[in-house]
Amino acid sequence: MEAQDPSVEEAAFVADDVSNIIKESVDAVLQNQQYSEAKVSQWTSSCLEHCIKRLTALNKPFKYVVTCIIVQKNGAGLHTAASCWWDSTTDGSRTVRWENKSMYCICTVFGLAI
Amino acid sequence: MAEAADFALEPPFAQKFKPSRAKEIIGNVLAARLSGQQYHADNTSSWAREIADEVKNKLKEENWSRYKFVVQVFIAEQRGEGVRLACRGFWDPSTDNYAHDMFSNESLFCVATAFGVYLY
Repeated sequence: MEAQDPSVEEAAFVADDVSNIIKESVDAVLQNQQYSEAKVSQWTSSCLEHCIKRLTALNKPFKYVVTCIIVQKNGAGLHTAASCWWDSTTDGSRTVRWENKSMYCICTVFGLAI
Repeated sequence: MAEAADFALEPPFAQKFKPSRAKEIIGNVLAARLSGQQYHADNTSSWAREIADEVKNKLKEENWSRYKFVVQVFIAEQRGEGVRLACRGFWDPSTDNYAHDMFSNESLFCVATAFGVYLY
């Protein structure tokens, strides 16, 4: 195995690792929960905290922006779009859609290389 | 001789991302694009994309060099559903910031956020 100084690990946004991180963070917070007006702000904060903690544990030279939207299911439509001005060779984003019977959660991570 | 700007760790104040100005830009784009519009499932996704692109282009026109921008737009139908949107950034607070603004009418509501992240 190549001896590699961890501080010079290749700085590219690996979308698959990030996908798993988001999925697991959201699952940990929202599994089996019913949409509740009182708890939703605590849930969004927890999801974001979990995501950021695990992203920073990857120890990559990246700045992260994570957004999380939780919407109650009542037949309404929701559209999201993002437009970015960045370096496409090093930066990237990943969006994960999660749902259960009472709500949708859409979590996006943008990774911007330093 | 190399210019001092090549080694700057922080942009000069005049060229720093200004959240208030970004919020103004977002507000103007949303009002211009969505005033008097009704929610329709078919064209709302193209509106979302166009608004995101327009806000990003306007941010590029400001004197904020060496900044990377991320603009996110959410448009949803007004049906009384509960919605919560939150964001968190892991960045350098002396150089990076964000702005957001909202537009709503009886049939839809829209939230747009813009993040400015400095490239050292």
